[in-house]
Order: sequence, then C-alpha cells, then structure tokens
Amino acid sequence: MRYLKGSLFVLLFWYLSAYLVASPIIPFPHAVFDYLISFDTTGGLHVDLVYSLYRIVVGLGIALSIATPVGMLIGRSRALDSVISPALYLLYPLPKIAFLPVFMVLFGIGDLSKIVLIAVIVFFPAVVSIRDGVRGIPHQYLELARAYRLSPRQMIGDIIWPAVLPRIFSSVRITLGISLSVLFISESYAASHGLGYAIMNSWVMADYVAMYGGIVVLSMLGLSLYAITDSLEHLLVHHGKTA
Amino acid sequence: MLAISNAGVDYAGHIAFEHFTLSVEQGSTVSVLGKSGCGKTSLLYAIAGLTPLAEGAIQIEGGRDSCGIMFQEDRLLPWKRVIDNVLLGLPQSYRTSAEELLELMGLQSVHRKYPHQLSGGMRQRVALARALVRKPRLLLLDEPLASLDEQQREQLQDEIKRYVAAHGITVLLVTHSIREAVYMGSRIIVMTPKGISFSLYNDNYLDEDLRSKDALFQMERVLRQHVRGVPCAI
Repeated sequence: MRYLKGSLFVLLFWYLSAYLVASPIIPFPHAVFDYLISFDTTGGLHVDLVYSLYRIVVGLGIALSIATPVGMLIGRSRALDSVISPALYLLYPLPKIAFLPVFMVLFGIGDLSKIVLIAVIVFFPAVVSIRDGVRGIPHQYLELARAYRLSPRQMIGDIIWPAVLPRIFSSVRITLGISLSVLFISESYAASHGLGYAIMNSWVMADYVAMYGGIVVLSMLGLSLYAITDSLEHLLVHHGKTA
Repeated sequence: MLAISNAGVDYAGHIAFEHFTLSVEQGSTVSVLGKSGCGKTSLLYAIAGLTPLAEGAIQIEGGRDSCGIMFQEDRLLPWKRVIDNVLLGLPQSYRTSAEELLELMGLQSVHRKYPHQLSGGMRQRVALARALVRKPRLLLLDEPLASLDEQQREQLQDEIKRYVAAHGITVLLVTHSIREAVYMGSRIIVMTPKGISFSLYNDNYLDEDLRSKDALFQMERVLRQHVRGVPCAI
C-alpha cells in the first residue's frame, strides 16, 4: 500500500512534467508503459534486466561475504582493529567509481569489472557498520556467554551473528541505492548489456520512450530489491521488536 | 561446597572488596546483604569466574562447571525463542529437561514465544530455568527478583526455595531486600568492602509461614541495623 501511494505520487509528478514541458524529452507515462508491455518492441530490456540483476546481486553478495567476517573480527579484536580500521578510513572516502577504468583493464569490460566495482563500493560502509554492530553488543550478553561457557563457535552463532544481522540489513539498504547508481555508470561504458547500457543507448538513438522504459525498469529493480531486503529482515530478525 | 579464603577484587586500583572469607555447606542458602558498592556483585562475579581475583582463592566442589548464575536483569537473548534461550550453549539432549523445567514454572505455553512477548515475571522464570537446566550444584543469584512487583517476587521466591531444597542445590543470593534475605537464606551475612561484618543463621528458613512469623521481623530489624553499620543484639 505504501509503495502504491508513492508510485501514484511519482506518476502524478511525471504526468505534470510531461504536460508542462510538452517535448519528446519527457514522454507521457502511458506511452512508456505501452512500450514496456508490448513485448515485441522492448528489444532486449528483459535481457538487460537479468544482466543488471546478476551484477548487482553478485557484487552485493561478494561484498557482504567479505565484510561480515572482517567486520566481526575487527569488532572483537582491538589489535586487528588498530591495524585495519586506519586503512579502511584512508580508502573509504575515495571515489571508487574513479577506479572503473583500472578495473576494466584488470578484469575486462565484461561482468567482472562491474561486479568488482559494486563489491568494492559496498564493502566499506558494510564493514564499518558490522564492526560498529559488534562493538555495540551489550556487555551483558558477552558476560552471559562467558558465564554459560559458550564455545567460540556458539559465541558467533548465538550472540554475535544475530546481534549484527540488523546492521547487515541496514548496510544492504544504504548501499543498494549507491550500487544501482554505480551499476548504471559502469554499464554506460564499453558495455553491450545491462539497464545502464539500454538507457544510454536509447538516449543516443533519441528514443526517449525506450530510455524512460529503461529508467522505469531500473527503478522497479531497486524497489524490488528493497522489498526483498525488508521481507528477509522481517523473516530473520526478531529483536527489533524487543520490549 | 564453596570455600572462599581471603579473597579480594580490585578494579584498576579501586578495591571492590578484600579479605573475604566464607565457607558454604552443600544444600544451604546464604543471603548476602550490604550497602551499595560493598562488593556483593563483584563477589558473585568472582565466584562465577567473570571477574579475576586480586588476592585469595575460591574453591568450588565440582569446579566452575557446576555453577549456575542468574543476573539482576533476565539477559534473555531477544532473537531466541524461550526454549532456545533456556538451551543456550547446550546440546539438544537437554531439551526434555528444559521443557520439564518450563512446565514446572508454568511456562509450558510459551516455549515458542520470544522474550518481548513475555511479562517481567515470566522472563525472570525463563532466566531461572536457563540457570537450572544445567543442573548446577551451586546457584548464584544476583538480585534476580529486584525488578519484579511484590506478588511476583514472593511467588518466585517460593518457587526457587522449593526447587533448591528438593534438589539439594547450594545458593548464594545477593540482595538489597533484607526481608528477602531472611526469607530465602539459611544463613544471612552482611558484607562490607573489608569482609563479613555480621553473620546470622536462620533455623526457620524452611518454614512456609515464615513471612508472617515474629522471628522474621526480629531478624529483619537486627540485620537492618547491621547493614546501616549500627550493630545490635538479636
């Protein structure tokens, strides 16, 4: 319902802009939706969607599977934190998108360079957030774990992992927007598939209806990923409801 | 069961307590009273191995593995269901014992619930079940009933008393409530940072009507004076 209200508001704004500007650069929404639902004319937008989805999911997956253990380790060990955190702070503010040409040279112009770029961008906020999550675990729980003689494995499974899980979901939510922007930019260069490519290609061909079709699909992709993240969090995280 | 000799705890120059010596027999319940900051909780934590000793020694029959502890706050993990909180760190072979304990405490219908779905009294009962499912020979209680209302507090006092008496569990109870100390303890000690300042044996502690007996009020009066630092005779 909340998504429906938001979509209606955007649609209304879009109609108003198309009416006021009265130029092909802003087509009416119904023209774009007509284009999207007529399968024959969509060219390969569904294929582009699959490519983009693949790149973003794999990039996020790689980033989180490295950031989670690293964040947990430096959150628990002051010695490791004193070595790794300064390096993180040094690299975190760098505009990683500037490394796209480097990644293209190193990993080629295919999927890998785009996936690596997304993974690198997501990694930094995720690792800092998970580290802070581990540090923020109430000392009472750590004391409880010691009092009940939990093994290191039980400590991770029963205390640390569930305590940082909400942080991981927050990181995903925060970095999803950045990932989509980065995906768009990376697919604009030397790519032959992906939503970024489709949008930029339509723009060059002055096919504004197709361009907006790509933008709509990209935003639906973002919305779906946010909805999936929320649903997974609802399913897996229970302590948000703590009294 | 428990022998503490000349023990002391020091937090980076701040002495929590020192020169503490106490011997506790199997099956007895020792209530520890004292002013705030006299080191009661530090003593309990030192026995549980959560705080290192600066001096002295603590010997527990069966070692620290035979200890169970219940904290002032329930410390239930909010992401675990009630049954999984009770089974924290234990293999599934304890499941039947955990279910039996929950049933004994009238919590049979809340196994699958999360802690935020329970009342304060129920949460403390779950915390008690978590401490008892390990079959401790020594149970350490750090003001576990302080946050409960009087009715729940008395009900849980009775449940703990009945259970530890039936299973021969030795208990060390830290409390601020003099009445609770007298009602629960076969022995009541008044602690200061320099050791034990007063000790009293309560021969009537198994009496179920103790709450309404004159003996309780008399012991309460004497102990209140000693906690205040004004000794008087019984």
